[in-house]
Amino acid sequence: MNSLPDALPLAELQARFAAALRAGAPRSNEAAPGFPSDVALPDEPAAALAECIVDDGLAPATRVQVYRNNLQAMFEDALARTYPVLRRRVGDDYFARLAVEYRQDHPSQSGDLHWVGRRFPEWLGLRTAGSDYAWLADLARLEWACEEALVSNSLPAAAADSLARVPPEGLAGLQFSLQPGLRLVSSAFPVWSVWQANQPGSPGNAVDPSLGPQQVVVAPDADGLALRSLPVDQFRFVEELAAGRTLGSALDASGLPVERLAATLAWLFGAGLVTAVTPQGASAPGEGETSTS
Amino acid sequence: MRDAGAGRVPGAPIPPRAGIGLRTAHHEDAAVGRADVAWLEVHTENYFHDGGPQLRALERARAHYPLSLHGVGLGLGSVAPLDREHLARVKRAVRRFEPALVSEHASWGHTDGEHFNDLLPLPYTEEAVEHLAARVRQVQDFLGRQILVENLSSYFAYSASRLTEWEFLAAVVERSGCGLLLDVNNLYVNEVNLGLDAGRFIASIPAAAVREIHVAGHRRNCVGTRDLLIDDHGSAVCAEVWSLYERAIARLGPVPTLIEWDTDVPALDVLVAEARKADTILERSRELAA
Repeated sequence: MNSLPDALPLAELQARFAAALRAGAPRSNEAAPGFPSDVALPDEPAAALAECIVDDGLAPATRVQVYRNNLQAMFEDALARTYPVLRRRVGDDYFARLAVEYRQDHPSQSGDLHWVGRRFPEWLGLRTAGSDYAWLADLARLEWACEEALVSNSLPAAAADSLARVPPEGLAGLQFSLQPGLRLVSSAFPVWSVWQANQPGSPGNAVDPSLGPQQVVVAPDADGLALRSLPVDQFRFVEELAAGRTLGSALDASGLPVERLAATLAWLFGAGLVTAVTPQGASAPGEGETSTS
Repeated sequence: MRDAGAGRVPGAPIPPRAGIGLRTAHHEDAAVGRADVAWLEVHTENYFHDGGPQLRALERARAHYPLSLHGVGLGLGSVAPLDREHLARVKRAVRRFEPALVSEHASWGHTDGEHFNDLLPLPYTEEAVEHLAARVRQVQDFLGRQILVENLSSYFAYSASRLTEWEFLAAVVERSGCGLLLDVNNLYVNEVNLGLDAGRFIASIPAAAVREIHVAGHRRNCVGTRDLLIDDHGSAVCAEVWSLYERAIARLGPVPTLIEWDTDVPALDVLVAEARKADTILERSRELAA
């Protein structure tokens, strides 16, 4: 060391602290928040920070470990708040391992822990690709869609009779603005069924692959969230509308039979998912960004 | 049931009585004014979003209660620059909810590449005073108002420290014009963990700067023959902390006091009963002064 630890400038102290936190996954299974899980010889980054700490009989390395364990526990808690269904399916211990590994690849980039799980679906997808657990990544995508929908702004819904004022020949050219919180998740696996079966108070069934692919629409409603599983053609129709296609081209591209159009529109308006209807090319009042995920 | 909006104007000052930290479990009670407490505090970061039920519940709650916004994620004392987006979201929340008090911590929390989402301690040095005071001024200038800075609970002390914790905080107050949020539980935690003289701390801080007090519970762990307290805000306030609180009120007079209970959040009546204990001490202090 070039300078005495007790003369280190703030920047150097924080650099040592950061290195010790980055290096430190919990060293025992007792990852209770703050619990100093062991007092074994510290690793190098912990030792470098411990040099800067008053030793009053309680080992500085143990004190460093408290911060490490707090950090991991808070990270895991935040991830668990976003992915409760996934955690229930994989179990607490395995979820904790996933949280440790995910944090190594994607440490928090914000002072707001809500966003810590943003890249978890993608990360889990790489990790489970080709395995029997590939469905977990899609379940994570669904839970992230729920997280985003839950905190999005809700715009006033357009009334269904806004269509009645449009002359019949203008219908095909209409564009629909949908709620900014609307999220669309399609999966080769029955993720909606898994999600439903693992809500608090439900039995917590495992995935039943025989149920086949599912397509889910997630949207905020007055109480929080509404999830709905749609047939693939209807789902594609909503996807096309969300992408800004006109009613006519959405119908063509999705393969939704025209006789199911009225029921589909009745649901979209009834659920308050449509915020504006405009002729093609005109700008919609209060148009929000609607993204698909 | 509280009188909905009676005499309430947004931004109304927080009375020198007890309030509670509002967590999701009690949103509905707060939204209709059913929590019988004088004011509410929330974590600012929980209301950063564009919409949703959380935000709507707080919009309704503020018709019934004066509010305090308590930030946990700015990392004021980090050597890395403050996160401009985070700061902008704090400002948006302040505009939206018009809180009477806005607070943060005397801590650091991020480098250029990573946020640790924890309240990490600073050394008590002249350099750190200058740095933290400059950051507090930056935030106050940006928000256009005073903020309160809260004393931390710590699990270690830096050998680099040359000032006491209270000297450090007093210097930050003097150089930034901020107020103090005195967390009495943190004094007790530091007394056990680090040997802080909590009595001298209370006797020495600049009394006029203390605009709010926190009391909370902690968890006790044994490491060999030593106790190490973990500041988890997950239980009732212990007798030792109430006793320090009485000493603080004896010196400072009645100050708005928050029951902070963030994990294993209990039923509302448990929180209200804790608030009553603080109110009793505050009431006695008013009687003595009269």
